[in-house]
Amino acid sequence: MNSKVFTRICALLAIGLMTDFSACGGRGATGGAGPDSKTDEVTIYVSTDRVFSEPILRAYEQKTGVKVNAVYDTEETKSTGLANRLLAEKNNPQADVFWSNEPVRTLVLKSRGALAPYKSPGADGIPPAFKDPEGYWTGFSARIRVIVYNTNLVKGADAPKSIYDLADPKWKGQIAIADPRFGSTSFHVAALYAELGDEKADEFFRKLKANGVKIAPGNSVVRDLVMKGEVKMGLTDTDDVNVALEDKQPVAMALPDRDGMGAPLMPNMVSLVAGAPRAGAGKKLIDYLLSPEVERDLAKSDAVQIPLRGGVEGPKNIPPINSFKPMTLDYGRAAGRVEDVVKRLQPILDL
Amino acid sequence: MKWRGMFRAPARTVALGSAVALFALLCALPIVWMLGVSFVGSDGRVGLGNYARLFVGPRERQLMLNSALLGAGASLLATLIGAPLGLLFARSDFPLKRLLRIGLVAPLVIPPYILGLAWIYIGGPVGLMAQLFGHDLLSEWTYSLGGAVVTLGVGFYPLAMLATEAAARRVDGRLEEAALLVAPRRRVLWRITFPLVAPVVAAAALVVFVLAISEFGVPGLLRVNVFTTEVFIAFSALYDFGAATAMAIPLLATALIAGAAAQYVIGERLLVTRRGAGAGAPLFAGRKTIAVVVVLFVIALCALAPILALAREAGHIRRVAAAASGTAIKNSLWLSAVGATTITILGALLGYGRARARTRLRGLADLVMIVIFAAPSTVVGVGLISLWNRPGWGIYGGQAMVVIAYLARFIPVVALILAASVRQVPISFEEAAELSGAGWLRSFIRIVLPQIKTGIAAAWIVAFILAFGELGATILVAPPGESTLPIRTYTLIANAPSAEVAALAVTQVCVGLAPLALLGLFAGEKTKEAASDA
Repeated sequence: MNSKVFTRICALLAIGLMTDFSACGGRGATGGAGPDSKTDEVTIYVSTDRVFSEPILRAYEQKTGVKVNAVYDTEETKSTGLANRLLAEKNNPQADVFWSNEPVRTLVLKSRGALAPYKSPGADGIPPAFKDPEGYWTGFSARIRVIVYNTNLVKGADAPKSIYDLADPKWKGQIAIADPRFGSTSFHVAALYAELGDEKADEFFRKLKANGVKIAPGNSVVRDLVMKGEVKMGLTDTDDVNVALEDKQPVAMALPDRDGMGAPLMPNMVSLVAGAPRAGAGKKLIDYLLSPEVERDLAKSDAVQIPLRGGVEGPKNIPPINSFKPMTLDYGRAAGRVEDVVKRLQPILDL
Repeated sequence: MKWRGMFRAPARTVALGSAVALFALLCALPIVWMLGVSFVGSDGRVGLGNYARLFVGPRERQLMLNSALLGAGASLLATLIGAPLGLLFARSDFPLKRLLRIGLVAPLVIPPYILGLAWIYIGGPVGLMAQLFGHDLLSEWTYSLGGAVVTLGVGFYPLAMLATEAAARRVDGRLEEAALLVAPRRRVLWRITFPLVAPVVAAAALVVFVLAISEFGVPGLLRVNVFTTEVFIAFSALYDFGAATAMAIPLLATALIAGAAAQYVIGERLLVTRRGAGAGAPLFAGRKTIAVVVVLFVIALCALAPILALAREAGHIRRVAAAASGTAIKNSLWLSAVGATTITILGALLGYGRARARTRLRGLADLVMIVIFAAPSTVVGVGLISLWNRPGWGIYGGQAMVVIAYLARFIPVVALILAASVRQVPISFEEAAELSGAGWLRSFIRIVLPQIKTGIAAAWIVAFILAFGELGATILVAPPGESTLPIRTYTLIANAPSAEVAALAVTQVCVGLAPLALLGLFAGEKTKEAASDA
């Protein structure tokens, strides 16, 4: 490299050094600069999709003037995520609040002592089934595990009504699920094992395997496979389907087992981090996240998440919570089965 | 003289000792820490419980075989594509060389997962090829070990290309010119040129092997079961740091075996030719047109095809513009540049130390570098948190941790590349300088570094690209707020339609290529300068 090149590289680096490096000074939910005082900031780790959660946190900043330092998560199959970060930071916590989009991560963190109890006054109106009796987590704004199908390829009476339809030989090679070892699908399969028992659940997944089920890296990929017609139907989440519906793609969703065990409901969960450096600010943020205002905003957004409290307008395209049969779930028990279920499914689905 | 003599040895000791100490602190210690954690079970007891399942079952053995085949296949393919291109660039003169080099490097800038997506958009059941031919031609092959090998081989060939070109520029063209008097070009290439650059080509092939076996995104996307999946599951599904690290041991063992095999085959063969690089022999004289055609074909197939597939899926430039974030772009460019520069400086010192080591431990040093490089990014990230997240230290929680993550991950690979470059510099140069009264530092800066400047440039580019695309470790240690572009891309991908995903990917590729394009436009041709270095 000649001296001119070296000089030019140094000049570029110097320009970078002199440029206002806003990421050093500003740690807002939007990345912009904010107040410097530690008492006017709070740090939250968010596993709920960034496109939905960031506007909520931005609104909190604008409303309260408190700077929100947010760390967002990737899809569970892209990186090992924030739950591992929280566990690794346990001895010197950096976060104040953890906002998860499904129960498993939260319940693992509770079991490892990474969370602190806080019973928020903001949780009034949320049914007890969605609150931890000890106060380690509170649920709000839920998604449903649904069957997505391609409306060009699956017509009328053939539309699926139960997850057992995925094992119907007429759909051989035309079904997909996300990798059951990760994310909301891991919760769903654990819930099925908790609900059906090991023998029946094993049998169901053996039938899926025999039916040529495709294992996709994530729920959004399942949606894309159905949307493009690579498969005809699959299991995914309501918000994933809604993205395709808003994009006018030929898909529809079916809430499974309305007359049977019901559809699994996955609430968001918010928790105070054990040893949070700004516990007071964290509690206030939790109070806000549990407010009807946030449930309404999440319902109206592309997240199409269903409010758990009555009296809050639900999302379009999704039936309200009192209009379908949710699966009766002990979230702690279901989350506790995840490790065991992952090991059972590996040989069954050849993962 | 006495005064100068007093500091002659300590300067070398201080410089190399500091580099080794930093390497131990930044790169080795997180891995060693995690290895320690792996001997603690989920019940808190110390023991070998996490290792009980390794290697025993047929499933584990199949996963290992898949991983080894994936690594070997990708490495071979990358070398077959990249090495001849590197020789072409070093030994011929054709128009628009700088621009074409940028085009050829482009696949390395595309994150492997995104590259996999692009190939699915082309070869999937409803991809471009299926639409063109009216039926599914390629999906069975796309979603297979072969598809994963091709995706990674095509993604990593620029490493082989850059390394080969840097090595070939060090070979004195007069050897080849003499050989051309009595032998045809093909024979000269095969019997003279290639053996002289083989160690560097082997080092690059080893790097590609390690990158391929530690890759998770592409095998996951293309539904190929490999061992990295086990590591990932232990973290993501089981949240068990000890078990996850234990799961990484077979990967590290595979890398170790590959490194040992490379050492056995290539050994410490003398590479150097004469005192200066000199001008390269015109091995491809009269073949300019063919050279350009070949280069354009590779660019079209390996770089343009996936980028255009992504752009087609993105659909509209507005989506690409909306995906960009000024802060994330600035952070990524700046942190990657700082990281690459620091990595190159430390890598040059470590590479020098390795190349000039006279003990039998030098081979062991190579293997340590390879094993550390092969460590999964999450193991490194969790190890960094465990070591650096201490009350009152003040470093954790800032952007410096992102740079530290880059150093922890990529110093080993750059040190390996530069060790191979330093081995091409005759030690007689330094001995002559010492006889003339030059201290070690002066000799290192004024003689060794200029001799390996092409290797340094290649190493910097490789470090920059790897740092720019790094996700697994940085997502664990990056401070809150808008951090790097890959973190932004992957946090937004989670629930986005494929068009948005493609737009984010195109943005990341364009931003990553821009500084390389600038450097490529600035850098002049090396032949005259190299001759003046002699």
